[in-house]
Amino acid sequence: MTTDAVAAAAEVPVMETTPTAEPAEDRPARWILDVRGFSVDYGYGDQAVRAVDRVDLHLDRSTVLGVAGESGSGKSTLVYGLTRLLRAPGVITGGQALFNRGDDEHPDVIDLTTADEKELRSVRWSEISVVLQSALNALNPVVRVGSVFDEILSTHRRTLNKSQRRARAVELLTLVGLNEDRLMRYPHELSGGQRQRIMIALALALEPKLIIMDEPTTALDVVTQREIISELFTLRAHFGFAMIFITHDLSLLVQLADEIVVMYAGRLVERASARALFSAPRHPYTLGLLNSFPPMHGAHAELNGIPGSPPDLSQPPSGCSFHPRCPYAMPRCSIDVPELRGLDEGSRSVACWLHSEGGVAAPVELSRRVGADRASTDQSGSVRP
Amino acid sequence: MSDLTALEVQLRARHLTRHFSARIPGARFRAKRVVYAVDDASVDLVAGRVTAVVGESGSGKSVLARMLARIIVPTSGELELRGVPIDLHAKRTLDYAAQVQLVLQDPFASMNPVHLVRRNLERPLLIHGAAKAQVEELALAALRRVSLDPPEKFLDRYPHELSGGQLQRISIARALCVQPKVLLADEPISMLDVSVRLGVLNLLRGLCDEEHLAVLYITHDIASARYIADEIVVMYAGQIVEYSRGTELVDAPTHPYTQLLIASVPDPNNPVAGAAVEGERVVTTSSRDGCRFVARCPQAMGICRESEPPQFQVGEGHTSRCWLYRDLPESTVDVALPRRRGGGNQEQMTTSK
Repeated sequence: MTTDAVAAAAEVPVMETTPTAEPAEDRPARWILDVRGFSVDYGYGDQAVRAVDRVDLHLDRSTVLGVAGESGSGKSTLVYGLTRLLRAPGVITGGQALFNRGDDEHPDVIDLTTADEKELRSVRWSEISVVLQSALNALNPVVRVGSVFDEILSTHRRTLNKSQRRARAVELLTLVGLNEDRLMRYPHELSGGQRQRIMIALALALEPKLIIMDEPTTALDVVTQREIISELFTLRAHFGFAMIFITHDLSLLVQLADEIVVMYAGRLVERASARALFSAPRHPYTLGLLNSFPPMHGAHAELNGIPGSPPDLSQPPSGCSFHPRCPYAMPRCSIDVPELRGLDEGSRSVACWLHSEGGVAAPVELSRRVGADRASTDQSGSVRP
Repeated sequence: MSDLTALEVQLRARHLTRHFSARIPGARFRAKRVVYAVDDASVDLVAGRVTAVVGESGSGKSVLARMLARIIVPTSGELELRGVPIDLHAKRTLDYAAQVQLVLQDPFASMNPVHLVRRNLERPLLIHGAAKAQVEELALAALRRVSLDPPEKFLDRYPHELSGGQLQRISIARALCVQPKVLLADEPISMLDVSVRLGVLNLLRGLCDEEHLAVLYITHDIASARYIADEIVVMYAGQIVEYSRGTELVDAPTHPYTQLLIASVPDPNNPVAGAAVEGERVVTTSSRDGCRFVARCPQAMGICRESEPPQFQVGEGHTSRCWLYRDLPESTVDVALPRRRGGGNQEQMTTSK
């Protein structure tokens, strides 16, 4: 780490990498998840590949945090790590993940990274549930949908009898817009959208405080995607759960998230509110991602996406891991690793040397005013009507 | 459509139809129903043009591509390859396979994982009669055509060593190495990373412009269709519901289904609030009464439930299968196109719609 990076780390307290648990009373009462310096490796010793590198996240109750990034950027590993679902050779190598399952007056905090099996059992599904990407693989093909609901409810809600469990399952299906006859079906008899709705109904079964969505709509077409997303938001308005929404589709994320973090090669490269990220991206990778979606309006212009392909994490590039693909790369980028540092009074942060103090001036497309019309000054030349 | 005759139509499909019989879930005694997977689809694939087919999963777009590649035998319809009528019930010839190549969605699944890229690329060349001494050179040339540089680096790799974007380029190279005239790309970018998708789209566009390939681009992402295509076809429940030469279809959609598709594209400028569409989706259908979209259509009228709409001419090179435009002239695909082969069967199909 260079002196600059150390200075940057000192300015931004979230840079702290040592897992020192702060007393929970110091935090605002509304928070639900606080992750600091979270790292995950695959493999041990010399073979270790760092898949998630010192990630900090903060999530308040009833808010939506978007995690964007390409495959291999570590976004799914991050989630599996946080929920302790990671399989060998995945190992959590650092950091803490505090989860507040209490209410505002009586915070009840556990550290998910050190919790034992018993504590995890009490948290999983009833407090934090996960909706996985592939609903076909996530549902047991030889078990009827109804049995899955029955099993969860009989494990976690011991007081319910059989008919009450069925009534609850029907209620949950109705919430996601499915008919109760679906309970008798096997997963293969349902369409992709219906299976994903079942997954969401299952995730809601025990009324968790936090739902993690790992690319829930990636395998679906746009019409189904929109239906499911708008249902999800109706449900959130009703139950008030918080969401971590993982996807590679940044334009979808901008629409639905309150705050977005962008991951690249296992690290957070940018964190900002959805609005700020869309209208005024600060990291070249974020800008590249935003320019990777052909526009629906305006003149035709050749778009180029991001040249090259995501790095192989077993041989990460030196310095900033994005520099081989970055159109703004400077000599320094291949030597020093930029740390996440605050911008705009700490309302957002970015890990890029273009935004270091006393460094070069950032190019115009990376230093727009928040709320400015991004398209009008775009390098891609696309113009919105 | 008259200027199309002046262009070089490589593959012409007329009234392609494919019905499958399917078991009714839960029904006893093996009761079957007919699913109209593709019904009366006509397309022209023209050299140097990209034709996009847009639709939801289950709308029949992949079945259409597989019929064009002659992997699935159509129930009825006609195919013409460069003006020569094809006997659809005969075995597909090697020459047809060489001229019409299909690129599949998942590059990881469409490459043999236990063989080197070299073997994956050289096998089609050998099958199609390239001299053994030349195959390496031809394989390298194919890799260069898809901008994999340096090509030597890729030949001795296994598919799992490459990224999705690189593999999809290799599967395009594999399709190109037998010098096809028509490239059918079935959702070539939906499995790829966002940042490399545009690269593959630009590659397809470039092949089309520089090498005069006729490209069929199948997608459910209407924004990418608008980006790459010269003409766009929208399919719903096995039927072509809207067609436009150029991209008017996206800028000014006329069919309620196209309007729904466009409204579903995530737009960062609008929050999600939009209400979900009413009605159970009918993507595959066993009914031929009325419009197939009627259950989900916000503008459904009485006539929509009674009879199936024909294609109406809503603009220059722009047709829409919707009763909203019944005051406009009907369009039949064959109006401006000279028929090379007529059949009673085909006549009947045109008039029955």
